[in-house]
Amino acid sequence: MNQLPQQLANGLILGALYGLVAIGYTMVYGIVQLINFAHGEIFMVGGFGALTAFLALPGGTTLWIAIPLMLVAGILVSVLVAIGAERFAYRPLRTAPRLAPLITAIGLSIALQQLVFSFYPDAKKARVFPQIPGSPFNIAGMTIQRSDLFLIVAAPVCMLALGWFVTKTRSGRAMQATSQDPDTAKLMGIDTDRIIVMAFAIGAAFAAVAAVAYGLRTGQIDWHMGFVLGLKAFTAAVLGGIGNIYGAMLGGLVLGLAEGLATAYIQHVPGMQLFGGGAWKDVWAFVLLIVVLLVRPQGLLGERVADRA
Amino acid sequence: MTTTETTPVIPLPAGTARILTAVGATATAASAFLAWTWTSDFPGDLTVTGYPGGLQWLTLVAGALTLVLTLASYGLRGLRWTSPTRSDNGILLAATGGAVVTWGTLIAIGVELGGMANLEPGGWVAGVASALTLIGALGLPLDRHTRRPLQVLNKWWFTAVPVTPLLYLAATGVDSSRPVAPVLVVLAQGGLAAAGGVVLVQALMLLRTWLRLTTIERRTAPPLELPSWVEVLLIIAAFSVGLFAITFGIDTEYGELFTGYLVLAGTGVAALTKSGLIARLRALTVKHRPVTTGAAFAAAAGFPFTQSSDQYTSVATNILIFATVALGLNIVVGLAGLLDLGYVAFLGVGAYAAALVSGSPASPIHVAFPFWGAVLTGAAASMIFGVLIGAPTLRLRGDYLAIVTLGFGEIFRITMNNLNGTTGPNLTNGSNGIPRIPDLNIFGFDLGKTHTVFGIDLGRFSNYYLLMLIVTAFVVLVFSRVGDSRIGRAWVAIREDETAAQAMGINGFRLKLLAFALGASLAGLAGTVQAHVSYTVTPDQYTFAEALPPNSAFLLAAVILGGMGTISGPLLGATLLFLIPKKLEFLSNYQLLAFGIALIVLMRVRPEGLIANRRRQLEFHEADIPAQAAPSDTALTKAGA
Repeated sequence: MNQLPQQLANGLILGALYGLVAIGYTMVYGIVQLINFAHGEIFMVGGFGALTAFLALPGGTTLWIAIPLMLVAGILVSVLVAIGAERFAYRPLRTAPRLAPLITAIGLSIALQQLVFSFYPDAKKARVFPQIPGSPFNIAGMTIQRSDLFLIVAAPVCMLALGWFVTKTRSGRAMQATSQDPDTAKLMGIDTDRIIVMAFAIGAAFAAVAAVAYGLRTGQIDWHMGFVLGLKAFTAAVLGGIGNIYGAMLGGLVLGLAEGLATAYIQHVPGMQLFGGGAWKDVWAFVLLIVVLLVRPQGLLGERVADRA
Repeated sequence: MTTTETTPVIPLPAGTARILTAVGATATAASAFLAWTWTSDFPGDLTVTGYPGGLQWLTLVAGALTLVLTLASYGLRGLRWTSPTRSDNGILLAATGGAVVTWGTLIAIGVELGGMANLEPGGWVAGVASALTLIGALGLPLDRHTRRPLQVLNKWWFTAVPVTPLLYLAATGVDSSRPVAPVLVVLAQGGLAAAGGVVLVQALMLLRTWLRLTTIERRTAPPLELPSWVEVLLIIAAFSVGLFAITFGIDTEYGELFTGYLVLAGTGVAALTKSGLIARLRALTVKHRPVTTGAAFAAAAGFPFTQSSDQYTSVATNILIFATVALGLNIVVGLAGLLDLGYVAFLGVGAYAAALVSGSPASPIHVAFPFWGAVLTGAAASMIFGVLIGAPTLRLRGDYLAIVTLGFGEIFRITMNNLNGTTGPNLTNGSNGIPRIPDLNIFGFDLGKTHTVFGIDLGRFSNYYLLMLIVTAFVVLVFSRVGDSRIGRAWVAIREDETAAQAMGINGFRLKLLAFALGASLAGLAGTVQAHVSYTVTPDQYTFAEALPPNSAFLLAAVILGGMGTISGPLLGATLLFLIPKKLEFLSNYQLLAFGIALIVLMRVRPEGLIANRRRQLEFHEADIPAQAAPSDTALTKAGA
């Protein structure tokens, strides 16, 4: 049986998820040159925010009402955490040597994971997340779960909205200006502090959308889901060219496709029989990152390697 | 501009305050010999009159230290050397340490035995004496700012103080059968904690404004001209005291004692720093550097001889492994400025390499290398991986290395799990790891057996401790030689400004790769010993963040907490980070949380670490440099007037 269409579909869906999270890395990096390690955890708390909203609704609420409310709650929680982190952890260190905010980010990442792990009720194990019920669709040999519909709709909508925001609105253009040259942007009357907060907030909102999609897709969320996903999303951001929002989405899709194809086909490569399957997909994603850094360090869509040491 | 003055916090006549401090300190020290409680249920047996036990030793030390410093402030011959600066702030710090330890003990007795009625009169004597000492010390003429304006937090935050209790009541009122109820309660508790935090921070700011403490740079009397051998003896004495203090810390048997020990160690060192004794000691160690290094290692080597069982030597061995790896990481992070978030994977590569060639029956490679062969294999394997990871990444500027190493750390673990024969070739036994690694045998000396040296039994862990100490010495040697060389200075130049360094003719990529590969192979070296010490290597020993060190996050934290670019910093940081989770078991559920928060706070408050590299300190506090010039200005005017 030809499994190529199925693997392509899986890869694209997974890739859209990576892309949504990668937006957060790439926007923050583009503006303040900081790898926000805690972004994976912002994704995770968004998932728990959405779960809380679901728990608060009376049992039996239809998902048509529940999902938008969960989305709102998830975005609210993620954005609040991201803004708080920016305000109290990163902003005081903006002029510090670049190691300091990175280490703060690691501390924040561990602290957020542990806060959820220790204090969210029953979060020591994975918690059940609602799924869209019903049988999967079968289109042209591809099987697509109903829960993935959310992501298939949400990811393009988010991307189009972001593209419109960045190119057409005043704030979006201010953001581009800040990313190109913060000092000059400030001289032009742009409130760069506000722009930085906005970049964190948009990234967090997208991460929360991704978290709801992740929960719907896998049917559960847990406290350490942000770590590996954040790593993958950062890989996607580098793959697409860090600092470039379209690159982040493209990088996510490429990474997702590569993972899907590696899972299915690596074992057919002579001499690699034992290195296929799901157990090795993270390894192949990582190898892809190394290869990209080796041959095209500016990423797929990146034009230059920023040199602002 | 702020100016300084020397005034008491509590307006007492200077003479009275000093007498009160001296008498209080004497009474505090003496009270350690009394019975504090009637039952030996409280750990350490504080019931004996005439002999201090457990926490009472700490009170005794604190009282004695305060007394010595107070007597020195009278200018008593024979004790004056303890306080070269003649600053009374040291006395205040020592008195604070005494009061905190004593009252902490009394409160712990009250809480654990259920009520203050469990205190014997001796306990009350200790409490009153230590409190009087503190009051007396506050009445001494202290170095203070003339004025320090009160910092007030954002006023809106204080609305949390009345609002959060109401929210909490509302949350507990939610029907508990609804699934959201426990979540709401937790959120409301979080709100309460945040409100408490706001109040606490504001209270600390009030205290700071009230005390207005600072340090006034004083010209100290020139140190006594001592013959060289006396100075060497002094260094050795200081390290003996240090060995005793660290041994005491490792040997503490219960959390209360360890907490008290940490408080006393912190305030004691701070007091001696204020009194200027530490600076004197440092000047001596700088003058006799080889002797100092020798004395430090001799003191460390002396540790197994103070132990009667292997219980604490195993702890010490693991501290040494952790500290050595942290020191290796310090080459990468501290000297070359390369953030490596997967460093523990190199330790793992070394450990796995050593385990595979150790002759363990579980290893699919049935060879048994001698120890030197295993060491070379482990270090070489780590270095190869270091070059493989570093070569593509280090060509680039920016923080790619951080994420690639983070990925490498994760991939290492996944790969070791997968190489189990079903999801991959059989090399590592997957998650079961490689067990039954035989003990080392070096030149016929079996490290697994107990040997008797000078009539003292040295068990298995003592042997490995001494072996590990040799490895540590080697890493220290590499660090100091490379750090002071042309290569080391080039690393620092790259760390500070790569563009400028390259303009000076430094090949950035090659030197960064050298630092990375050297760091990796040192970790591999430590890994080979670790594999033998722990009998088994499993993939889950080498994670990014885990409750127990060593793991990548804790290694990085040890370097940063201790002080980047220094030798003693990571050693101290690793010791603290190993002992604190080990000894304070009540923290065990929240230690990673505390660790994460501590990293954030540390970066805000003291990014240069406990032991600051001079250059680093200037770099982190660039804004303060003009302010530092101020005291000398006033000193000049005073001198001129």
